[in-house]
Amino acid sequence: MTFRPIVFEHGFSKLLALIALCGAITPSWAVPSFARQTGMACAACHTVFPELTPFGREFKLNGYVLDNIKQVTGIDVENNQTLSLNSIPPLSVMVQVTYTHTAKALPDLGSAGALTGALAKDGEVLFPDQVSLFYAGKIANELGAFMQLTYDGAADHFGLDNTDIRYAHHLSFGGSDANDHHMIVGLTLNNNPTVQDVWNTTPAWGFPFSGSRVAPGQIASAQIDGRLGQSVAGIGVYTWFDDHFYAEITAYTAAVPGGNHPLDSTQSNVAHGLSPYWRFAYEQRWDRHSISVGTYGMDTKVHPGNGTALQGVTDRFKDIAADAQYQFIGEDHLATVLATYIHESQTLDASVIDLFATNATNNLKTFKLTGEYSYRRKIGGSLGYFNTTGSADMTLYGAAPATGSANNSPNTNGYIAEVNYLPWLNVKLQIQYVGYEKFNGLKLNYDGAGRNASDNNTLYGLVWLNY
Amino acid sequence: MNLNHAAAIMSAVVCMVGQLHGAEVSADAMTDAQRSALQKTIETCAACHGSSGRSVSPTFPKLAAQTAPYLELQLHAFKDQTRADPDAQAYMWGMASQLNDASITELAVYFSKQPATEGKGGNTALIAQGKQIFVEGVPGRQIPACASCHGAQAQGNGPFPRLAGQHAPYLLKQLLVIQSVLRTAPVMHGVIKDLNRDQMQAVVAYLESI
Repeated sequence: MTFRPIVFEHGFSKLLALIALCGAITPSWAVPSFARQTGMACAACHTVFPELTPFGREFKLNGYVLDNIKQVTGIDVENNQTLSLNSIPPLSVMVQVTYTHTAKALPDLGSAGALTGALAKDGEVLFPDQVSLFYAGKIANELGAFMQLTYDGAADHFGLDNTDIRYAHHLSFGGSDANDHHMIVGLTLNNNPTVQDVWNTTPAWGFPFSGSRVAPGQIASAQIDGRLGQSVAGIGVYTWFDDHFYAEITAYTAAVPGGNHPLDSTQSNVAHGLSPYWRFAYEQRWDRHSISVGTYGMDTKVHPGNGTALQGVTDRFKDIAADAQYQFIGEDHLATVLATYIHESQTLDASVIDLFATNATNNLKTFKLTGEYSYRRKIGGSLGYFNTTGSADMTLYGAAPATGSANNSPNTNGYIAEVNYLPWLNVKLQIQYVGYEKFNGLKLNYDGAGRNASDNNTLYGLVWLNY
Repeated sequence: MNLNHAAAIMSAVVCMVGQLHGAEVSADAMTDAQRSALQKTIETCAACHGSSGRSVSPTFPKLAAQTAPYLELQLHAFKDQTRADPDAQAYMWGMASQLNDASITELAVYFSKQPATEGKGGNTALIAQGKQIFVEGVPGRQIPACASCHGAQAQGNGPFPRLAGQHAPYLLKQLLVIQSVLRTAPVMHGVIKDLNRDQMQAVVAYLESI
């Protein structure tokens, strides 16, 4: 799931209110760059993009290097290869045009303070919501990259989006022709925890694969659940053994684009030191089925920043998650079930001192369960349930029109229903509806300003082109 | 088409492919670089066709113990895009596009030498019906015995592929795309012209079971 709601932890500045309102989604996707490089149709790697098939997972774990186009090559005097470069760069473009309608229009935030009683325009079209340019494919033998530059139509901003550069080496042992055992050992250099993952249960590539950036986002989410995306850099080592076992350890450190550099008090939520990330998973494939179970997590020390110095005591977030995925890929029918549960323990020593939080410790639990179906990768739908619960905190989760919590609680739950139509494998037309049973702690008057959870129910239309 | 006719066509095709196929590639004769390149290619194939050509998903055929001439013919057909069924286009046109004649032969020989997988049981009555079609054909519809080309044990014969132990859904799909001429297979077009879907399901159930 790619909701990236902003934790409303630092008072009620309008800046954060704007961010929270505008939301909340980091879309994730598949790219025709890979099709150009491999000569294979989208269906080889994806059920319905961006969700990966077993082959898609193998392709990524192998470092995005599988190529079936002419190479520009070089060798040294000892006949060692010094260059193997795609003769045509694996570039592609993604365009998303969206429409958002919420059940009740949102408050007008104004430029110098909210206009009392005024409502912002409802029924917003973003053209574009996002436009991305990708380089996605081989750099050299065993070295490849997924790199995305995005123009964000809502923020009117252009910058580096999800990026994963990886090296992968294949080993076989335990027999020659029989290939009794085989493993991939790889390195990943990336800017978003879980962007390197190959299952669609983890946050960076999780459900929903796209969602409204205009509708309000819930008040809290775990650090690993999108809060560190594009503001850290991590290098990690992974292995994939016998097409069954996956293990990875990655260390992240702050790498924040934009704002003041060196990083200073004008930044917010800045990772301190090295943050270890870990991931273990087991996958079993049989016939047309595959199932995986796994665990992932991250231990992150964070400076709240936002006007306070990036030094001294820190907050600490320990995220421990479990996930499972089931996939059936038939000739006509495709089905997937995705589940993830994230438990976050928060120790907010710095935020308490800086008066951003009341409690020294909090917890936050996130659960997401999604079922997807597609007929011949042409028409399909998804139904997802999401539930966030956690300890109340009167400062961290304060009242504010539309974005706050009247009872200081992060508890939010609801469902997402989607219908997708793909006239071509690289074009998706989508209608999505998000319904909230509870939003930021309450069903009725959750913000203390008269707004109900169901007022945030969102109708979202998407035209998603990849070419 | 009667049995004699089918056998005559088979002989002609075997002879033709025998000339195409040429000498077998000996692993001992390969340089280290060639061996390493072959190993890398095999690893790529394994992503879909499984370790040693023992695929798990019925979307992808098992290649283990497949006849080398058939594999070679198919790889050439993917490369020159004359085999154009949907999965061929989606997967194999790209995969085969950069293979040269030598590597195609090496791959064909490698997979032909891998041990075959064991058959998988299923509906006994269906399997028995399928066996009858495989062994005797369907005389009433002028459908010759499959065994006449593919071998008594469905072990394959030169350009006629091994069918024994193959995934039933894969075989069924091939029969359908050949019948609809999405996949070109000159001998088979005539042979299965009047084979109906029930008969197809029976014969592929039998083949998967052996």
